[in-house]
Amino acid sequence: MSHPMSQPVSHPVPAEDLNALDDDAFRQIVRRFVAENYPPEIRNPPKRLHWRDNKVWYLKLAEKGWLAPGWPREYGGMGLSAAKQLIMIEEFERFGCARTNDHGVVMVGPLLIRNGSEEQKRVFLPKILSGEHIWCQGYSEPNAGSDLASLRTEAVLEGDHWVINGQKTWTTLATDANWIFLLARTDRAAKKQEGISFLLVPMDAPGVTVRPIINLELHDEFCETFFDNVRVPKENLVGEVNRGWTMAKALLGFERIFLGSPRQSAYALIRLKRLAEHVGCAEDAVFVDRYTRLRLDLADHRALYETHVVKLRRGEGLGADVSMLKIHQSELCQRITDVMLDIAGEDGGLLEPIEGNRDLHPAGLFIQARPTSIYGGTNEIQRNILAKNVLDLPG
Amino acid sequence: MTDRDAQAENIRLIRESAAAIAPRRGDFARIRALRFTHLGFDRAVWHEICAMGWVGLLLPEAHGGSAFGVAEYCALAEEFGAALAPEPLIPAVFAASFLRGDMLADHLTGKRLVLPAWQEKPGELPASHLTRIASGEVSGRKIFVPMANGADAFLVAAEGGLGLVDADGEGVSVVTAPTQDGGHFGTITFEDSPAEALPGDIAPALDVAALATAAYLLGLMDRVFAATLDYLRTREQFGRKIGSFQALQHRTADLKILLELTRASIASAAESLDASDDARTRAAAVSRAKARASDAALRMTREAIQIHGGIAYTDEFDIGLFLRKAMVVANQFGTSAWHRARYAAIAPESEE
Repeated sequence: MSHPMSQPVSHPVPAEDLNALDDDAFRQIVRRFVAENYPPEIRNPPKRLHWRDNKVWYLKLAEKGWLAPGWPREYGGMGLSAAKQLIMIEEFERFGCARTNDHGVVMVGPLLIRNGSEEQKRVFLPKILSGEHIWCQGYSEPNAGSDLASLRTEAVLEGDHWVINGQKTWTTLATDANWIFLLARTDRAAKKQEGISFLLVPMDAPGVTVRPIINLELHDEFCETFFDNVRVPKENLVGEVNRGWTMAKALLGFERIFLGSPRQSAYALIRLKRLAEHVGCAEDAVFVDRYTRLRLDLADHRALYETHVVKLRRGEGLGADVSMLKIHQSELCQRITDVMLDIAGEDGGLLEPIEGNRDLHPAGLFIQARPTSIYGGTNEIQRNILAKNVLDLPG
Repeated sequence: MTDRDAQAENIRLIRESAAAIAPRRGDFARIRALRFTHLGFDRAVWHEICAMGWVGLLLPEAHGGSAFGVAEYCALAEEFGAALAPEPLIPAVFAASFLRGDMLADHLTGKRLVLPAWQEKPGELPASHLTRIASGEVSGRKIFVPMANGADAFLVAAEGGLGLVDADGEGVSVVTAPTQDGGHFGTITFEDSPAEALPGDIAPALDVAALATAAYLLGLMDRVFAATLDYLRTREQFGRKIGSFQALQHRTADLKILLELTRASIASAAESLDASDDARTRAAAVSRAKARASDAALRMTREAIQIHGGIAYTDEFDIGLFLRKAMVVANQFGTSAWHRARYAAIAPESEE
């Protein structure tokens, strides 16, 4: 990596510029593409899919030039406005498209485009777009969850190499990945946020060990990743030394709005109604009242979500108040699944869907609703953010 | 300028002009002075309100109105709520949509105040009436008419149509009961009272009034929340600002979410009313927003009392004014339970 290039490198097939289309026309194009190309057997998967199961969709998107809606077109992205990206994601959600192994597209790509060297962009961006590099994220540690900045995985420069030691956790789909991006401490003396750097590490480097963690869904999407004297060339550091925290934080873009999308609660509410019909309480006055309260909460959540979408459409950025959506959505979804468990009786304790019907799986949805108030910043952290950054309450 | 931009500009102007009559800042000396008086509101202020053209704001220009949409009306009602204004704007706007000619002109200028007497059962919008109108006479009983002592005439909803009845007309008796906010409800009994028959269907007007009531509650919530934030930022205990305590920060964050859900709900309902002629769509949107606002306003004011602590339990401190107002207004034009039930009955369950 000793010959940095001065020009950005084009993706071989630059995507068509779709920004000029009006929103409805664009939505129709996306809707049709999804309907014609999405593999029907992986619609609405009950669990996060591994690469072996979602790569067919990843590669379809790559082939179409639609894998990276937010990247500038000169890097092989679609260069879409935030509003149009939102439409794409809404259409994907609507159809029940699985999430892919998207850390390269969503996290590494934008970070390299903003902070990477020309050499890093030349090497890594095309391989994200081709699916050759599958990335995972090394942020959280056993003792650095909500307080991420207290992370202790350390990188020390020895000659031309960084030597990394430590442990990362919640490295989602790390068993699928061949690269990991991580935050590591590079200055122990500095204030905790100011001694952190951003590094790129191949998963096959000697000293990297991955151990899957079985979660409450009995699924192995999470992993622990250990680093034992792992050596990477010093060029694998992105941006400046000790600036990793600031870079990673700046990456929290408009995607935050999706943690507050009404889709998950809407899906759960439909399942609640099905379950009530199955149980035979759908017309029961007590159930109707509980169900109606949840419907109204969802309808008002949609209205609140829309006000943020409208801001994006007008080209305004999102403020810290977007945390409201995440809190309300995740807790609404949990309240819906609470009612499911309540009406299901003993069936609410079944490991598999009731009578093999995938629409009737209260226990599954109840468990799936647990992490939503934890990941992406726990709801307690989100409330701290609201209190301090939106309501201006004293620290 | 798009329609939406024009509406946003109207709303800005309405809020600005409302500040003179229904201020968002300052003390509540005016409100306190009017509490538990015979009239319960201020005639002079009522004339100012009329002079602003607000009573006719929804009417077409040909009828002396401003032809504003429901979104503009909600903005005005919100400002009234933020000021805890006791003047009967919402009932008067309701009545204006059924009056014509001189009686409308007198109502709009404030010369004669017409208040609707539509309700016969607590907590619900009417499907039918026991009150009857026939051959120019009304007989029956209407309840919960706010500020009834201020009425020069009543717009009576009855089986057989609408009737306009003079407040001091033959066979009309008004009995009032004071309400927590310092106003009063009137129970009006009509015995063969002379009535002028009027055309019209009150159902759509009731929905608009229910939504305006939700907006009034939103304004009330906004103001009491701002007061609570101020208190959290200044009050000290244990050597710290109490707003630095996480237990209170998290409660306050939840109130902020509640406030913004209410705002979004009302805004989208107003948009539905301005955009759709479909009665079910309109009614469902109104029920959603009113159910939200009624529950939210009561929760917000209860929490405001708790966060302020002992001082809030004194009548001298203003937070109690918000609680008492919410207690009275939250159940007007349909309780949250009634609106939830109506929503369940009419809103289509989308599978989207």
